[in-house]
Amino acid sequence: MAFIDVRRLYHRYPGSPVHSLSDISFQIEPGEYLAVLGANGSGKSTLVRCLDGLAEIESGTVRLGGLDPMNADELAQLRARTGLVFQSPADQLVASVVEEDCAFGPENLGLPREEIARRVASALEAAGLLAERSRPAWALSAGQQQRLAVAGALALEPELLLLDEATAMIDPPGRTGFLDLIGRLNAEGATVVHVTHSMDEALRARRVLVLHRGRLVFDGAPGDLFERPELEAWSLSRPVSLEAARRGRATFPEFRPAGQAPSDFRDELARLARLARPARQAKAAPLARAAERAPAASVDAPSDDDALILEKVAHEYLGGTELSRRALDGVSLRARKGELVALVGATGSGKSSALQHGNALLAPSSGQVRILGRDPAAKGADLKALRSRAALAVQRPETALFETCVGDDVAFGPRNQGLRGKPLVERVRSAMERVQLPYAEFRDRPVRALSGGEKRRAAMAGVLALDPELLLLDEPCAGLDPAGRESALALQAALKAEGRAVAVSTHSMDDATRADRVYVLERGRVVAEGSPAEVFLGTEPPPGLERPWAAEASVLLWRAGLTAAPAALDAAALADEALAVLGVPSSGGGPRAAGEGAP
Amino acid sequence: MKDLEFFRNATLGQYVDSRSRVHALAPLTKYLGLLALAVPALASRTAYAALAVMALGLLVALAAKVRPAFLLRGLKPALPALALIVALQALLSWPGDASAVLLRLGPIDVTLGELANSARIAARLAALMVTLGLFTATASESQIVHGVEDILAPLSRLGIPAHRLALVVGIAFRFIPILAGEAELIVKAQASRGADFGSGTRNPLRRVKAWLPVLVPLMLRALERSEALVEAMEARGYAGGLRSRLATYPVGPREKALRAGLVLFTLVSAILVSMAPAPFGT
Repeated sequence: MAFIDVRRLYHRYPGSPVHSLSDISFQIEPGEYLAVLGANGSGKSTLVRCLDGLAEIESGTVRLGGLDPMNADELAQLRARTGLVFQSPADQLVASVVEEDCAFGPENLGLPREEIARRVASALEAAGLLAERSRPAWALSAGQQQRLAVAGALALEPELLLLDEATAMIDPPGRTGFLDLIGRLNAEGATVVHVTHSMDEALRARRVLVLHRGRLVFDGAPGDLFERPELEAWSLSRPVSLEAARRGRATFPEFRPAGQAPSDFRDELARLARLARPARQAKAAPLARAAERAPAASVDAPSDDDALILEKVAHEYLGGTELSRRALDGVSLRARKGELVALVGATGSGKSSALQHGNALLAPSSGQVRILGRDPAAKGADLKALRSRAALAVQRPETALFETCVGDDVAFGPRNQGLRGKPLVERVRSAMERVQLPYAEFRDRPVRALSGGEKRRAAMAGVLALDPELLLLDEPCAGLDPAGRESALALQAALKAEGRAVAVSTHSMDDATRADRVYVLERGRVVAEGSPAEVFLGTEPPPGLERPWAAEASVLLWRAGLTAAPAALDAAALADEALAVLGVPSSGGGPRAAGEGAP
Repeated sequence: MKDLEFFRNATLGQYVDSRSRVHALAPLTKYLGLLALAVPALASRTAYAALAVMALGLLVALAAKVRPAFLLRGLKPALPALALIVALQALLSWPGDASAVLLRLGPIDVTLGELANSARIAARLAALMVTLGLFTATASESQIVHGVEDILAPLSRLGIPAHRLALVVGIAFRFIPILAGEAELIVKAQASRGADFGSGTRNPLRRVKAWLPVLVPLMLRALERSEALVEAMEARGYAGGLRSRLATYPVGPREKALRAGLVLFTLVSAILVSMAPAPFGT
């Protein structure tokens, strides 16, 4: 019998006219690694909640190891065998000390103290947190907190791990550590159900379910899913690895890498190159280091083009108290008008703090800040006016929506600027249209009736309605599905094309390749800067980070002597690069071939 | 320019992990210590007595390697409330206040008795805040919870759910920094949209209006966060029933003696300070 058995499952939230899940049926065998994909609001999280008895089933049956989550006694047994990890690391900490948080599950089972201690030790060991056992849980990094959540689940010694977008809020190194841990547990026999927006993570699974508007529209292998024409309609996208191979295959049908690693791409290309023209060997050019090629921009004299300049900015939170913490340590960066600047780095590296200096929410402990040519520290500086010209969208800006109707909330900013009447309506209308919330339709829509993705867009409209010259966006794409992410990136490009300066922080190296300039932060310092090509195609990956997939593959092609220099940052450019190796003339049309990368 | 920082002076509720001998005590002992200072502070009838209790608290802080300045900074947010109390004392008269009038301004007169009362109330409040600050600086969140559990443990035989009550206390403490963090984010979001924060307006009406866009989403977030916490707890098998506990706090003979001493001190000092004659017959 299947381990998880779901038949004709229906679910509806109280008061909602539509089903959030309709007619879902599937079976999962013990030891499977299953990914669940779907747009924001497609019902993925609801499905997980139905499995763990957190959401009430309307009709249909759900069985986990033969247990029924709708039966109170069986639910207790079921939860003792199931570990659930949620999206937000901080939200799922129950106790304040690492080992006590880990012990919460077994304590609920009423196990004897010695048994709890044994389980906690082995769970923390598996999650790599044994050294942190007596630290306060809030002091861990987001990645560590998420591994603690897994440890808390592991202490139950579960047969099933349910992961609900568990990697959405952790940085790339934290994510890698987390996924490796999950992979190891799966290899040891645990069944894994992983809800995710990341197509790369879906590739780790052997089987994928896709939900679309509450219905199960796909159940099969990831390789088959990404060949499906409906991909875009389901708000999904193809992982860069598959996209590059697919583009290569369009002109070179034999091009079939054995796996999804950048090295597989290289090996396949090398094999085909040997077959095609054994004599051809591109000469490897020496590769400049990113730092050596970095432009001297940061020492330029300030000009009218500069929307934001941070000059050796240091910032200490709670300075002079027991809890002081240095967030920035001499950061210099600038964003010019008509330029998109990306800040990347691990959690706690100072990205948010740097952005908050950009609209004078934070004042530097030392160093200089100039915002749109003004010094916010000058006497009599009108910070309120300055902040609405240099607007910041905080992380998860949708949490700050407060008016009942969408239109009123978007109008909050321009109203504070003194706009009234027709100009105000026009400002609100155009801001809402820009984020695809048609004014006539959404103006009077209650905020609480919006989906998560719509709320994010409404919050973004509230910032755009200020008509700012400088936009500071703190992780604007976090938690969005691929379609939402793509339209957010398109919006950033459009804002920049209008001559505004845009500074974003992001955990996605792929997003960062779309910027004009990338700053890599580590522990409050800028450790690398330059164009995406300079930062991602140097001999070494940026400190503490990994290259985007296409850039990694491109560097491997160059290392193997196949190309003269690494130049690709995205799937299209990589495919062109590969085809050039095979003697096929470039299609002329990757959107960007990252020309700067070639010396 | 002012930074929008919320935690700067909020020392109440902040644990200072200095690993002193005070920190090493069992939670129950720390609760007894809290009582030993709080009871005489509340019972005190003169400002001197309350200040003496505060001084004692600061001495214990030294032993606990918690800087007295850290605890005193915690008084800063309470200053407006103190000012209000003193003003009310001056405005209203005590019945039968026969003490000397120091100052007369139209209908308002300030008497020596009123002055003494203001000083006593201020000193009591300060002593209490220092005591509580010292307690939270030396007892971590989980120890506060375990302490409640240990105090109520005898009652659980009578069917009183000690653990559930302890959990309520623990969650209340946990939500202080959570709500402060959420409030900070929301304030920053609204300030970025031109709301009046940190731009130094003194108009009280504008200040109140500026806070409305913070309170509404803050309430929503508080509900969302508590719902998330409930789900996280349920998913790990919490059902409110019988549980076991990982943490234990072995208590040696010296600590047992200390506990007895603290109880004795509480009783004696409370009697002593409350017997002292209140000045000026108030």
